[in-house]
Amino acid sequence: MIRRFLEAAGSWCLFLRMVFRRPEKWKIFWKQFVIETDKLILSSIIIVGVISVFIGGVLVIQTASNMSNPMLDRMLVGYMVRETLVLEFCSTVVALILAGKMGSNIASEIGSMRISGQIDAMDMMGVNSAGFLVLPKVMSATLLSPLLMLFSFALGIFGGWCVVEMTEIIPAAKYIAGLKYAYNGFYVFYSGFKMALFCFLISSISAYNGYYAEGGSLGVGASSTRSIVVTSILILLFDLIVTQLMLY
Amino acid sequence: MIKVEHLYKSFGDLQVLRDINLDFEAGKCNMIIGASGSGKTVLLKNLIGLLEPDSGEIWYGGKKLSDMGYEEKSRLRQKIGVLFQGAALFDFETVLGNVIFPMNFFTDWTEKEKVERARFCLDRVNVSGADNRYPSELSGGMQKRVGIARAIALNPDFLFCDEPNSGLDPYTASLIDNLIHGITEEFNITTVINTHDMNSILEIGDSIEFICNGTVLWKGDRHSIMHTSCRELRTFVGANVLARHMIDESE
Ligand SMILES: Nc1ncnc2c1ncn2[C@@H]1O[C@H](COP(=O)(O)OP(=O)(O)OP(=O)(O)O)[C@@H](O)[C@H]1O
Ligand SMILES: [Mg+2]
Repeated sequence: MIRRFLEAAGSWCLFLRMVFRRPEKWKIFWKQFVIETDKLILSSIIIVGVISVFIGGVLVIQTASNMSNPMLDRMLVGYMVRETLVLEFCSTVVALILAGKMGSNIASEIGSMRISGQIDAMDMMGVNSAGFLVLPKVMSATLLSPLLMLFSFALGIFGGWCVVEMTEIIPAAKYIAGLKYAYNGFYVFYSGFKMALFCFLISSISAYNGYYAEGGSLGVGASSTRSIVVTSILILLFDLIVTQLMLY
Repeated sequence: MIKVEHLYKSFGDLQVLRDINLDFEAGKCNMIIGASGSGKTVLLKNLIGLLEPDSGEIWYGGKKLSDMGYEEKSRLRQKIGVLFQGAALFDFETVLGNVIFPMNFFTDWTEKEKVERARFCLDRVNVSGADNRYPSELSGGMQKRVGIARAIALNPDFLFCDEPNSGLDPYTASLIDNLIHGITEEFNITTVINTHDMNSILEIGDSIEFICNGTVLWKGDRHSIMHTSCRELRTFVGANVLARHMIDESE
């Protein structure tokens, strides 16, 4: 079990070396980068947005109902919601959702190109197929995903505000004051960094699984399932490690 | 020129290729023939470096394939055109995009020059008016022809075709045969064709290697194939009605 894991990690590193070879032509790379950004990042906006609004709203209700003690300032609801969102939800939970969406997209797309011989055809032209197919995906996912995290953060807070306005569970002014209370910009950086790291793992591991898929369409299915399971576990593991390193 | 020496290849317990020795000359259509499952595709994939042989050497010109580094292999591959058995067109590109694809990487031509060259290649394989369609919208035979157009887009020195005319009607099949034969002679290409189509064997088989159970049982050309004494080959050839008549007549 441990040996198999180490072997896979080793060949994943070799795969990354192929991916990060200098592109044959930068013009082609940038063209692919734009296409992948549309497919991986822009197309995730709706799902991330919807989830963030709802979670933001739910967090407000839950926090408020757990702080019925009159000794506690109601402002703390806004503060807690903000911290929960930025520290854990907007990076880790959103990344887990993306592991499903982005991961299965990448693994099945590259996997079906593998089994239909398109990757072989590319290699036979002398094109670095791993570079051409995977590098734009990894770069786009890693560099632009922090924007998704910021977007999710903003919409989460907005969702909370909507609930505050509609239910008057706490005064809106208190909510806003809480949001501003003891603001620490480093947390945003920490969260953005986590998001970039997670999306790097998602894109590179799913691409790796797809790239080495074998056994027809069943193999493609298996590779996409494996990507999601492996990346989800790794996201949780790295969440722990990064948090320990950066926040403690 | 391509040379193969003592090539062995197996998958697990299954020994697919056994002690293959071959010489492919430039300017000729070199055919590898054999029954379905005899190992033609596996041999071809070994030749172009998509599969690693268990043992044995493959020489391109004076250089061993196994000695080449990444850069050198990539340069060699730019000189190789391959038509895969299933065509393997890129389904994210249109027909025109597929033929232009290698040009994007390895030429500095303008967009107009690339389109011109691609149209020219597509014309030669008799595909026109399908420029903007995607591979999934083409018939199997059309995909094959676009695959050939893509393989010859950069004027290769080596051309490998895995069953170029299976799935084509007899007229188009012979058109493709003659196209491949034509450019082979015209540009002095080293062409290797996998096939089990008797028509093309008799039409363009300059040099023929018959593979049976993973070994080369017989070598010759389209003239000598009719007078072979190799029993397995006679069975193979004799399965074709016309060829059977020809054998009977010559005896
Ligand atoms: N990746 C693989 N793993 C295991 N066995 C394989 C693999 N590829 C091919 N084989 C086996 O090798 C043998 C030769 O296959 P190959 O595809 O070369 O046949 P072929 O001569 O091209 O047949 P056809 O004319 O039908 O295309 C077959 O028995 C096949 O099962
Ligand atoms: Mg075959």
